[in-house]
Amino acid sequence: MAEEKKSGGAGSRPAGKIKKIVVNRDLCIGAASCVVNAPGVFELDGENKAVIMQKGGAKNSGPTERPNFEDGTIDDEALLMAAQSCPTKAIFVYDEDDRQVYP
Amino acid sequence: MIQTKYLIIGGGVAGTTAAETIRAQDKQSGIHVVSDEPYRFYSRIMLSKPSFFLEKIPWDSVFLKTESWARENNIEYTLGQPVVALDTTNKTATLQDGQQISYEKLLLALGTNVRRWDVPGADKKGVMHLRTLNDAKQVIAAVKTAKQAIVIGGGFIGFEMCDMLKLAGVDTTLIIREKYFWDPLLDEPSGRMIEAALKKAGVKIIYQTLVQEVMGQAAVAGVKLQDGKTLPADMIIVGIGTYCPLEWVTKAGIACNRGILANEYLETSAPDVWTAGDAAEYKDLILNENIQLGNWVNAHVHGRVAGLNMMGHRQPYRQVSFYTAQGLGITIAFTGDVRTTADRQIIYRGSPEANAYTRIIVQDGEIEGATMINRTTDLAPLTKIIEQDIKIEPYRQQLRDPACDLRAVIKQQA
Repeated sequence: MAEEKKSGGAGSRPAGKIKKIVVNRDLCIGAASCVVNAPGVFELDGENKAVIMQKGGAKNSGPTERPNFEDGTIDDEALLMAAQSCPTKAIFVYDEDDRQVYP
Repeated sequence: MIQTKYLIIGGGVAGTTAAETIRAQDKQSGIHVVSDEPYRFYSRIMLSKPSFFLEKIPWDSVFLKTESWARENNIEYTLGQPVVALDTTNKTATLQDGQQISYEKLLLALGTNVRRWDVPGADKKGVMHLRTLNDAKQVIAAVKTAKQAIVIGGGFIGFEMCDMLKLAGVDTTLIIREKYFWDPLLDEPSGRMIEAALKKAGVKIIYQTLVQEVMGQAAVAGVKLQDGKTLPADMIIVGIGTYCPLEWVTKAGIACNRGILANEYLETSAPDVWTAGDAAEYKDLILNENIQLGNWVNAHVHGRVAGLNMMGHRQPYRQVSFYTAQGLGITIAFTGDVRTTADRQIIYRGSPEANAYTRIIVQDGEIEGATMINRTTDLAPLTKIIEQDIKIEPYRQQLRDPACDLRAVIKQQA
């Protein structure tokens, strides 16, 4: 088994570094598992939907590229864990080649 | 006899996350998951969501792992088999079909069963409970032709089912035992806010009433209430709580209360046996008491912590539990311990009149819990304040001011 293979992802291609995330607001139900797994990145807004906290204080569901995250320290593993913990697969994760890493 | 190193009983989010956590660090050892359901890991939380019921999202999206995930990760599965006996001395579990599995480390991630409605006639076709994907299939089929539905029980399931039924255009009546929605977990004004949203959507609510019997031949035709009144219905959805099926667990000598008792490491009273998810009644380090709180996030983090500890780590579970729901134009959130005992005060933030209302429950100068109606933005900061045991005396004014960003409190503290 390849070390870099991510479980539950789109098939068996190895994932590159995460560049961008988007929350699909129609799918999001506010279970907030992303908030628990990556509290510096996600929070719930007034509609109970996940938003990404961005530099400068803006908050929206993205797409947001990594340099714009308020939390500059979060690693790929924690980000992917946050996405994979979502019970409605509402968090979409893309790598540097704009390939969808998850779901 | 099958032999494995890590045996996980339960294929839900806790069990699956534990398997995933172990496999991420240990590529070699055997991992075997046993589930009493015939399906691979799916999103149980989706089962009460209107978008799923009304088939607005594809059926397949309920599955959270691909079909090949287990094989790719070398995780063995036995599906559709309940465990019937456990021997913690010889470290063996027996399945219903007589098959035995021996283990070195065991995780009990059993989840809960729904409490069955025991009124006469509750076995008629059209009376539905909601726990499994098969239960959900029944409801999805019934909603397509139903004209009049009755929902029993004032909690999350009751709320979400009313939302779904109204979206589907079904005439809906909610019958609750209590005086107002979610009594006594919420105060009356909060409960009334939820009721206002239900009524605005067209749901009729009958209070403080029990059903005496379900009428009809083979299929539901309606209900007869305590006071003798009757109500027609062609489907009834029951959401009156859950319980842990613990017969073989207690027989195995593992200490149980309402759930399986565990310390903060999720270890049970038996050696090499852990528990996780809805079935775990664990030592909560923040509330300093044993609690059992079934929700997706808890089960997910439990699964990770239990998986690590089964591998020999020593990681405590330390997290404030919270829960959210939304629908019918309203959002509902709970965090921490929301019981309002005599030694606790309540700080109000916003108001029912403003249709945005948070109750902050305080004891000994610290926040213990909060309930939020249409104020989900308070959830993250309040949860953080609870987690960090912040003394709130200097911040009472900010807590009371609905316009004040509570993150400021945390920042000032830091």
